[in-house]
Amino acid sequence: MKTIYKKLLFLLLFLPFSVLAQETLSGTVVDSKSNQPIPGVNVVIEGSSTGTQTDFDGKFKLAKLNKGDKIVFSFIGYSSQTVVFNNQQILNVSLVEESNQLKEVVVQVGYGSIKKKDATGSVALVTAKDFNKGAIFSTDQLLAGKAAGVRITNSGGAPDSGPIIRIRGGASLNASNDPLIIIDGVPISDAGTNPWSLINPNDVESFSILKDASATAIYGVRASNGVILITTKKGTSGEPQFNYSSNVTIGEASKTLGVMNASDFTRFIQEYHPGRTNQLGVDDPATTAVDDLSTPQIEGRILYDTNWQKEIMRTSISTDHNFSARANLYKKIPFRASIGYTDVQGIVKTSEYKRLSYSFKMTPKFLNDDLKIDINAKGTYSNKNNVDEGGAFGGAAVMDPTKPLYGDSFNNKFVGYYQQTSISGNRDQKVGPTNPLAILDQRRGVDNAIRFLGNIELDYKIPFLRDLRAVVNMGLDATTRDYKETYTDNSLATYTFNQGTDPATNYLFNPGQASFFKATATNKTMDAYLAYSKTLTGFVNKVDAQAGYSYQDFKTDGNSLSYRNNVDTGIREQYISDINNPNNREYRPRNLQAFFARGNVDLGGKYLLTATLRADGTSVFAENQRWGYFPAVGAAWKLKEESFLKESNFVQDLKLRLGWGKTGQAALPGGNIQREYFPYLPTFIPGDVASQYLPNVTPYTVGPYEADLTWEKTTTYNLGLDFELFKNNILSGSVDYYQRKTNDLLAVVPLAAGSTGGTEYLQNIGSLDSDGYELSLNVNAIQTDDYSLSFGGNIAYNYSTISELKGITRTSAGGGIGGTGNNLAYHAVGQQPYSAFVYEQVYDASGEPVVGAYKDRNGDGIINDSDEYYVVLRPNWTYGFNMTFGYKNFDLTANFRGQIGGQVYNLKKQQNGYIQAAIPSQSTEYVQNVLNFYDGTASPLFDTYLGNAERSDYLLEDATFLRCDNISLGYKFAKFVGKSSLRVSGAVNNAFLVTKYTGQDPENFDAIDGNFYPRPRTYTLGVSLDF
Amino acid sequence: MKNFKKYTLGLGLVLLLTSSCIDDLNTEPKGSAKSLDQLLQEQPTLAGLVSKVYGSYALSGPSGPGSTDTPGDDAGESPFLRGIINLQDFTADDMKNRWGDNGLDQLTTANNWDSNNKFMRYMYNRIYYTVPQANQVIGQFNNFTVSNKDQVISEMRFLRALAYFYLIDCFGKGPLLTEADLGSNELKGESTRKQLYDFVESELLDIENKLPQRIGYGQTSQPAVRMLLAKLYLNSEVYIGQNKYAQAYKYSKLVIDEGGYTLAPNFRSLFCRDNDVTAAKDEIIYALIADPIVSQSYGNTTYLINGSLNDATMTALDYGNPGGGTNAWAGHRATKSWYGLFGNSPAALEASPDDRAHLFWTNYLDADLTKRHSYEMTNYKTWTDGYPSIKFTNANFIGTVSPNSFAGTDFPLYRLADAYLMLAESILRGGGGSNADALNYVNLVRVRSHATPITSSELTLDFILDERARELNFEGHRRTDLIRYGKFTGGSYLWPWKGNVKDGTSIPAHYNLFPIPIKALEANPKLTQNPGY
Repeated sequence: MKTIYKKLLFLLLFLPFSVLAQETLSGTVVDSKSNQPIPGVNVVIEGSSTGTQTDFDGKFKLAKLNKGDKIVFSFIGYSSQTVVFNNQQILNVSLVEESNQLKEVVVQVGYGSIKKKDATGSVALVTAKDFNKGAIFSTDQLLAGKAAGVRITNSGGAPDSGPIIRIRGGASLNASNDPLIIIDGVPISDAGTNPWSLINPNDVESFSILKDASATAIYGVRASNGVILITTKKGTSGEPQFNYSSNVTIGEASKTLGVMNASDFTRFIQEYHPGRTNQLGVDDPATTAVDDLSTPQIEGRILYDTNWQKEIMRTSISTDHNFSARANLYKKIPFRASIGYTDVQGIVKTSEYKRLSYSFKMTPKFLNDDLKIDINAKGTYSNKNNVDEGGAFGGAAVMDPTKPLYGDSFNNKFVGYYQQTSISGNRDQKVGPTNPLAILDQRRGVDNAIRFLGNIELDYKIPFLRDLRAVVNMGLDATTRDYKETYTDNSLATYTFNQGTDPATNYLFNPGQASFFKATATNKTMDAYLAYSKTLTGFVNKVDAQAGYSYQDFKTDGNSLSYRNNVDTGIREQYISDINNPNNREYRPRNLQAFFARGNVDLGGKYLLTATLRADGTSVFAENQRWGYFPAVGAAWKLKEESFLKESNFVQDLKLRLGWGKTGQAALPGGNIQREYFPYLPTFIPGDVASQYLPNVTPYTVGPYEADLTWEKTTTYNLGLDFELFKNNILSGSVDYYQRKTNDLLAVVPLAAGSTGGTEYLQNIGSLDSDGYELSLNVNAIQTDDYSLSFGGNIAYNYSTISELKGITRTSAGGGIGGTGNNLAYHAVGQQPYSAFVYEQVYDASGEPVVGAYKDRNGDGIINDSDEYYVVLRPNWTYGFNMTFGYKNFDLTANFRGQIGGQVYNLKKQQNGYIQAAIPSQSTEYVQNVLNFYDGTASPLFDTYLGNAERSDYLLEDATFLRCDNISLGYKFAKFVGKSSLRVSGAVNNAFLVTKYTGQDPENFDAIDGNFYPRPRTYTLGVSLDF
Repeated sequence: MKNFKKYTLGLGLVLLLTSSCIDDLNTEPKGSAKSLDQLLQEQPTLAGLVSKVYGSYALSGPSGPGSTDTPGDDAGESPFLRGIINLQDFTADDMKNRWGDNGLDQLTTANNWDSNNKFMRYMYNRIYYTVPQANQVIGQFNNFTVSNKDQVISEMRFLRALAYFYLIDCFGKGPLLTEADLGSNELKGESTRKQLYDFVESELLDIENKLPQRIGYGQTSQPAVRMLLAKLYLNSEVYIGQNKYAQAYKYSKLVIDEGGYTLAPNFRSLFCRDNDVTAAKDEIIYALIADPIVSQSYGNTTYLINGSLNDATMTALDYGNPGGGTNAWAGHRATKSWYGLFGNSPAALEASPDDRAHLFWTNYLDADLTKRHSYEMTNYKTWTDGYPSIKFTNANFIGTVSPNSFAGTDFPLYRLADAYLMLAESILRGGGGSNADALNYVNLVRVRSHATPITSSELTLDFILDERARELNFEGHRRTDLIRYGKFTGGSYLWPWKGNVKDGTSIPAHYNLFPIPIKALEANPKLTQNPGY
């Protein structure tokens, strides 16, 4: 041991001296614009394996040079530069930052990084210069529309609404379709809070998106739906740099629901429900008159004109401050730290989100750079008022516009808020929808979360085997979250009764806490692997291999308190549903472990081969079904290196990629702890205290289970071409074609009346076939000293069909359209997943629907189930494009995004778009607002929507849209004060939407447009100071 | 040196971690849900599993009235008892409902039945939830040595047979699953009505003498088994085309003679909240328990009571209900096919000596005309068309009231008066016994409610059908009775809104069975639809 160490030390100490003994070239590499040194630049002699990297100060030394040697300087995001050696001693090089270049871009591929030009898989890289601009509070918004085949749909306009991300449409039916997200090497749990709000968008350096199996297979489990690797910004090696940036954003609703105003509504009630005119407005105490139907006025009532949607919304003002420092501590430790504070107001009143975030990164090297350490710590503290948006929007849509916002009667119980009541059963009961402003003002849903994400990576070059590195990465992702719902006194929602018989006194309110939960999530990860990399001479140019072990442990443990009103006293009290578990413990464990290996070879600089094998074990399956084996291979042919293209000026680069691989999926559908974490185990659930039966016995229910449940497996073939045409990188891009087949789908299917009970459960049933194309293009139209103009775009087509469900023809896929179990969508054999099953509406000669008439598609003379047909809801085509224009210090960018095809179900039309909707069946005492029948929002042909009418394709509308995500204009004062520079920018986000959809917003992941928090249009003014 | 050691140690640690970490793949539940081992520690007799199967006939799910045992089904709409009332009474002549609820109109009007109807599906799903639950318990008990094992297994077999009885009666066929099918992934094909019938018959005959005369209130017993046998035999001609009135006679007689039950002195007491403590309990052979606090369900008697109340024309509080739209649901009303059996006007009903004639809310003297209910059901959607039944109430028989959203009245699924009328009917149908016996039992039922006793010349089969209506309507028997008399389908007997016509019209013969729900067909390709659908 000791001797080995001595030998090693000897080697370590004398190796540099022996190099120094030769004639050397030294110099510094700097950024051409900022003159800041660039660390980590590759400096190699062309055609040899000799090379080095610049140190933290951008300095390099190179030995054993011969005159005429070509020295190549390359670095991510910069144009490479080649200098011919003619015996100079010192060489200072300034590299020019480039906008887009295929060649030297480095992408993260899992357990290492690779130059994009050497990648065999389908990997997309999105870096800072591509990011969306403007009001961006959640990291996913940086990426929306930027990568082909990556569809990002946020769930609405709430300040921290989580996105739904689908890469190539998703490979599963009911198992998770979410891509795996890895932040600085730490895989983020796929359960729990929105991971995208965990990191401050300002800290992100780049996203690597791995799409095909030959790229994702190294992650095996959870990688079926692609992988998004997020890399945060690093420290510097030069002078300390500081940045302060700040934004102010003003938001407003872009479109609200087309319900009637007071005068239209009054007219409507007079015309269609004349018997109900005495329910408009509020009683006029000055008169006992009742409405005279022969006059246009409403006698005896005071009518108000309240725009309920407007009353619950506001112009929001949000601010965002970020400060970051980059430095090189002790000239040894590149270091970056940042702190950010974001205060986002929702456009719905009282909807608010505040986040304090910090990040800290250190990347020191020790032992003559043999030991690289990467330390990351990030955290957020967030505070949100989780408003009851469903209640508020639902109420605002139907609340009678002739009712006042505030009740002015002297005996109003609800601290001013108007609410219709009526005595019934000796109780002064609420009538009609609850005042939606009161829903917001009288309730707080305070959601506090503290989240920490940290990791330490040790990357050690083994001294006695210089080509071998040992890497250990340990990460921790921990969250504590508590949620408390409270009501103010006299709040409408807590109005209740005791057993008293005098309506003047038998009511009460229950202010204070109404629900509470607390949860802690602790996710520990550890990866350990050996990486071998050897550059060789001969046909095999390079061998690269990694092998290792990965451990991931996710645990969420939480408690909640629930309350309910005492049936006799009406007083809210804590409610214990299970006496053996009074705090409602919810425990969710998941453990994943894997062994993996990957090898890459480079043959003749032209042919690249990658092979991966991974064995994954998961705790959610029984011991004998636990392990899955996932292999992949990839190959690339660098056509540009072939003699017939080598000299071509037209083809600057060309690479053909071919990949095949298998990945696994075991992230089970949520909503049920037993099914998500112990689906193979019979578990017994105690009956709630309200669900007891035989006296003094706690009943237990055995739920369904599936002992043989195992991995869902996805096989992907991918064929891709990366190209760069014309000089100066004028046209570059890539095209991909893929085929994907998922077998043993983890699908929730109806159970045949069977042995385990229940009506539906998770099974490994069926297969899903997909194929698709993707194209990304970048055009650098103009590149001069003063002007630059570039365009980028991507378009993707995905088509998936369910090829088999083991004898079952279809299974419900959700998409509730009112009423339990009344779902629109199905996963059906031969159809695309999540297709609507609907009747075909019959239209008359003038194009108006014939109410209640549907096409007899099978011609059997009766209209029933078998006349329904499938309509695909999710789009097959998605696209995004952007434009960047620069003139001197001005820059202008615009980003667009959209989908072609897909349908959205206009739920509001079904719920509020018919004449009888104004007089709800459950009460004869009030009228409620409906969609406008006078401006075409709804058709007066529809008296009701019942039965088959709810399933008519009349309610489906084309969801094709084009959204201008943002337009941003900036100006940079290059020399602001001293060395500092200042950028001032203005941006409009969600600037406009082009669509034929008549409802609120066609961009809807579930394709059901119901109570929707409108996506705001925002205007942002920002400054960014570098010093 | 120091560093090197550190990293060697680090690597060693990594290897060590790897080997010990594999164990972490074994996770187990913590919190409420328990594994079988954890459950056995708490309940060595597995009493909770037994209670659950009993509860399956009244409750919706494990976690209160908003939870469901049959995911995809509405928790409130889908419990077993609610299905029995929906399918047996709303489809028949006695009760109508006005909500629509996307499928209830079709039941109420016996019109437009198709395999998509969710209310029919709820019943099917409940049957096929209860059967495997019973199988599970039988399977578990077969694995353990528990003192009362045989009795518990017999109880479960009764509950399973009862579920199959509703399958035979409503759907006519379906897979026959027993504890032998536990753990099998094979889809089972359907058994015929005859095969199901034979299974239920043999099961009941086998457990008849394994069950004691009483176990506990709300639990099955030997008389309950005999009661179900009698029902099976009485309807045997419908189910399997064979006349088994002799057996029907035998088993109703055994219930009457050996069951140890007595008619409650007061008819109304049978349907009050305290029917588990008053003399009513001595008439109830098998009850489905309800409690406003510990057994809450929107599908037990809460459905019958709350659905029949509406503050617009009555005072819900009088019936132990807090009133208002959330508690008094303004849905069900009886039709003249029921209350018309007591008199042809509200005044006639009031004047009738029969206690059972007074359990309809007519309000015909109210000064406010809009609060009066009309005898005729011109529009079944209009609340005031038809008289609500106030047979079931959440008030105590002794008159005290403590209003609750959920009812505490137990549902008498089987009671002695039913056995009396079945006995009389099987005598008249030639099953044995004497007409004098038949007359005696019919009159015992009538006299209890202060109705005039009939003479032997008045005693006909049709009279018994009417007497069953007067006595047992809204108790989940009516559709079966009408089918047995050949009066459900076709045009020989009409009632309001039969076939979606105010005065009734003929409905097709295939309506004697409900369609197999589409979801069941989709889940099991071996199943076939009933003819006509």
